[in-house]
Amino acid sequence: MSAPDIAALQPIQAARPWQRDLIGVAVILAAAIAGYFLFPDNLALLTRIIAIMLLVLSLDLVTGYCGVATLGHAALFGAGAYAAGIAAVTFGITEPLSMVAIGAIAGAVAGLVSGVVILRGHGLAQLVLSIAVIHLFHEAANKASTYTGGSDGLSGIAPDPVFGLFEFDLWGRTAYGFGIVLLVLVFVLLRILVRSPFGMLCRGIRQDPVRISAMGASVKASLIKMYVISGAVAGIGGALNAVSTQVVGLDSLSFTNSAEALVMLVLGGAGSLYGAFVGTIVFMWFEHVVSAANPFHWLTIVGALLIAVVLFAPKGLYGTAVTLSQRLTRSGP
Amino acid sequence: MQVFFSIGVDALAYGMVLFIISIGLSVTMGLMRVVNLAHGAFAMIGGYIASYAARDLGLGYGFAIILAVIGTIIIAIPLERFLYRRIYGAPELTQVLMTIGITFCVIGLANYVFGPTLKTIPLPAGLQGPVDLGFRTIAAHKLFAIACGVVVALGLWFLIERTSFGVKLRASVDNTAMAASLGVRTRIVYAASFALAVGLAAFGGVIGAELLPVEPYYALRYMVTFLVVVSVGGAGSIPGALIACLLLGAIDTTGRYLVPEYGEFFFYLAVIAIVWVFPRGLLGRAK
Amino acid sequence: MKKLILAAAAAILLGGAAYADVIKIGVVGPFSGPFAIQGKNFKAGIDAYIATHGNKIGNDTVEILYRDVPQADPAQSKALAQELVVKEHVQYLAGFYFTPDAMAVTPLLQQANVPLVVMNAATSAIVTKSPYVVRTSFTTWQTSAPMAKIARERGVEKAITVVSDYGPGVDAENAFKSTFEKDGGKVVESIRMPLSTNDFSPVMQRVRNSGAQAVFAFLPSGPTTLGFVKAYNENGLKEAGVQFLAPGDLTQESDLPALGDAALGILTTFHYAIAHDSPENKAFVAAAQKAIGNPAELSFPSVGAYDGMHVIYKMIEATGGKQDAKKAVDAVKGLAWESPRGPVSIDPETRHITQNIYLREVAKAADGTYYNKEIKTFEKQPDPGLAAAK
Repeated sequence: MSAPDIAALQPIQAARPWQRDLIGVAVILAAAIAGYFLFPDNLALLTRIIAIMLLVLSLDLVTGYCGVATLGHAALFGAGAYAAGIAAVTFGITEPLSMVAIGAIAGAVAGLVSGVVILRGHGLAQLVLSIAVIHLFHEAANKASTYTGGSDGLSGIAPDPVFGLFEFDLWGRTAYGFGIVLLVLVFVLLRILVRSPFGMLCRGIRQDPVRISAMGASVKASLIKMYVISGAVAGIGGALNAVSTQVVGLDSLSFTNSAEALVMLVLGGAGSLYGAFVGTIVFMWFEHVVSAANPFHWLTIVGALLIAVVLFAPKGLYGTAVTLSQRLTRSGP
Repeated sequence: MQVFFSIGVDALAYGMVLFIISIGLSVTMGLMRVVNLAHGAFAMIGGYIASYAARDLGLGYGFAIILAVIGTIIIAIPLERFLYRRIYGAPELTQVLMTIGITFCVIGLANYVFGPTLKTIPLPAGLQGPVDLGFRTIAAHKLFAIACGVVVALGLWFLIERTSFGVKLRASVDNTAMAASLGVRTRIVYAASFALAVGLAAFGGVIGAELLPVEPYYALRYMVTFLVVVSVGGAGSIPGALIACLLLGAIDTTGRYLVPEYGEFFFYLAVIAIVWVFPRGLLGRAK
Repeated sequence: MKKLILAAAAAILLGGAAYADVIKIGVVGPFSGPFAIQGKNFKAGIDAYIATHGNKIGNDTVEILYRDVPQADPAQSKALAQELVVKEHVQYLAGFYFTPDAMAVTPLLQQANVPLVVMNAATSAIVTKSPYVVRTSFTTWQTSAPMAKIARERGVEKAITVVSDYGPGVDAENAFKSTFEKDGGKVVESIRMPLSTNDFSPVMQRVRNSGAQAVFAFLPSGPTTLGFVKAYNENGLKEAGVQFLAPGDLTQESDLPALGDAALGILTTFHYAIAHDSPENKAFVAAAQKAIGNPAELSFPSVGAYDGMHVIYKMIEATGGKQDAKKAVDAVKGLAWESPRGPVSIDPETRHITQNIYLREVAKAADGTYYNKEIKTFEKQPDPGLAAAK
């Protein structure tokens, strides 16, 4: 299974080292500030988008950069969410940064476990292993209802104010700011990661695993390492979700959640991290708007959007935009 | 011993129903290399047509099945022409996006047109009620489903391995350009196989409706099950799919009988174990 | 800091409401996806209430905003409720089909100064999570426990419970088991099946082998109940005389045409049957069927929504359209009225609805349609689930 081939564009991107990433961070911050002032009443939704964005970024690491197809990535997200939630409810750890750290660790562990299982298969078998993994996680959380609340959900998570100063309020301002800071930090670290020799190695594995192993690198060990990192990122997303919504449900460990994350990634374009941003925002915002406009039949319109993207932007929204802009600059003077 | 037979009968019936519904997906995924997540949507369309024909128009069961298969293929033709043709040979993830989009649309439309209630397909008198097997009873329609499964398996195997159409199909899939240059009209071959897959989906949707009732969310609800059985069997392999369905049917049934509380664990751990041993599916061809 | 924000919130929200003559009610429910039919019933109940009582209370006009949570998703539910409160300035939150979705919203209520009227979610504990929660539906304990009494009355000594393995299923199992065993019966086995189960034949074989005289079952309303009821018939349990007992979720009216003859004779206990014989119900059913379009789609969530609207209207009357959650909730404590389902009241202690629970049998009407025929009434049942949890 391979992602739409945005990786082919990578050399160009790598040729302009740090400028693009600086611009990227600037754009994220600008968008964050714009979001805050343009939609002051939608911060809860925006925070949710940030949490899911972390999940999609994390999925991009394994799918876009390593070529692993998975429909079970929410396992990592949900592990982070439940770990943070259980830490708060059962063990009284309500300091938000500690909760995020716990979420990241739990996500990394879940990443290790699912990585070991999923990487055993290839192609469709891989997909099926990922489906099995997400269902096992889901069922385990359902069974451990003493800790997780089972199908009733884990409620009663009451995080402390951030640094003892900023309380999580009804408008979701603190949660939003908290989320943005986490997102930018994670993004910067991930850009460094994918530019590092290790990141290049993973991209090489995606293109030709046989050649990489012939070069003496361990394909499997690299992929599992990436899975653990990816798990930490997804775990942070899950923990952010738990902190900001103060509740965790079984849906965070569901197949649906995994599949939606994959749809968002492909919609934006895999293999660049930027596509993950674009895809998540477009999908979730679009879904929000049409489902509020017509709560009964909005699914049809979302379906039509996905079809339209495949027809008119086959490399995903971001990938196609990059191709277009390159064509324009090349045909220019 | 009686328990053993009892589980065996249930497993066989369940496995065969799975087989009939999923085998069309094995054709699209394995032979045409399209990850068709809209497979369940086609099965559902078949179910709706049959339900409308048999329940609302009062036509016979057999006639309803034929109408469902033909009707679903007719609905699928424009989809193939305008949408699927664009994603043959595209990266799998693009195919996933497109076919999920189609599924969403079909669910939304079904909800709008038919409403969210369950639709049943009335069975003829002969298929209703239980049949006594001596040591236990089993539903007559399950026996019918088992028979249909056997017929479909043999028919498909013959079509793909023994007819010139099968040869052309396999040639087109392995190397489209080469097949075309040898005079195979690959477009038509693809369209025909797509119609075959869709027809099988509709057939399965009708036959399996007693177990998996028709409602708008059908298209997504059972997608995971279809994906799992096809991939465990090895996509594109008819015997592989058959073995996988029977094996998974047996595992699932045994789990539900012996440890219903942990049925889900039992099933998915078994799936992991099978794929661990056969990383390309039971009878999957190495690429 | 906290007080300041609260004061600011109160000022904005109160100020906004005092001059507004449109009172917004935010309704969260499953309007698309696998449970779309239940959301549709919410809307039908609400529309029926507005059609029969008008959308004006004094000078104020009521406006309903619908938000979709297709499957249980507490985070999504909370984000939507938050948006309804801060962006749309709703004065009341209502709806909620799934327990986790309702639970997720309860921490918001105090700060938002908004009452929550639960129109379905049936886990007992929801009302304890915030003093601003009122429930007009039922709890699984409330509808399941009377069934154990019926079973004992009918001479069942040994029963087996079969439930879906999730919150409401476990509630139903506990409710039946504890009541049944208190009355001297014995539950020989308790089976919990995964929610995703499609083929119930193996389960039925187990029921058969257990030697129980009756099977008490709970599955969520929808497609799986069809397979379950069919498997019960096809595996010869009906012929063997194993009585089928369940709370009314299993035989909701919108599933009955699909269940058909297979459901005949199933005994259920529930708070509402569309066939309930009273003038109030006839008027309600006529209005709700008109609202939903296809009469066959009408089911029990509609009555929870209808009565929920009644409670909200009373709250609006009591507060004169001003936003004051405490006053609104206090005003309906002890409120009693004649609902389409029969006489009901809001328990002032628990804020849960006290109502009659009916024993019903699936029967075939003269015109060939199926309905739940009420054959016995348990009057004024409170929720036994809260007491059991203590």
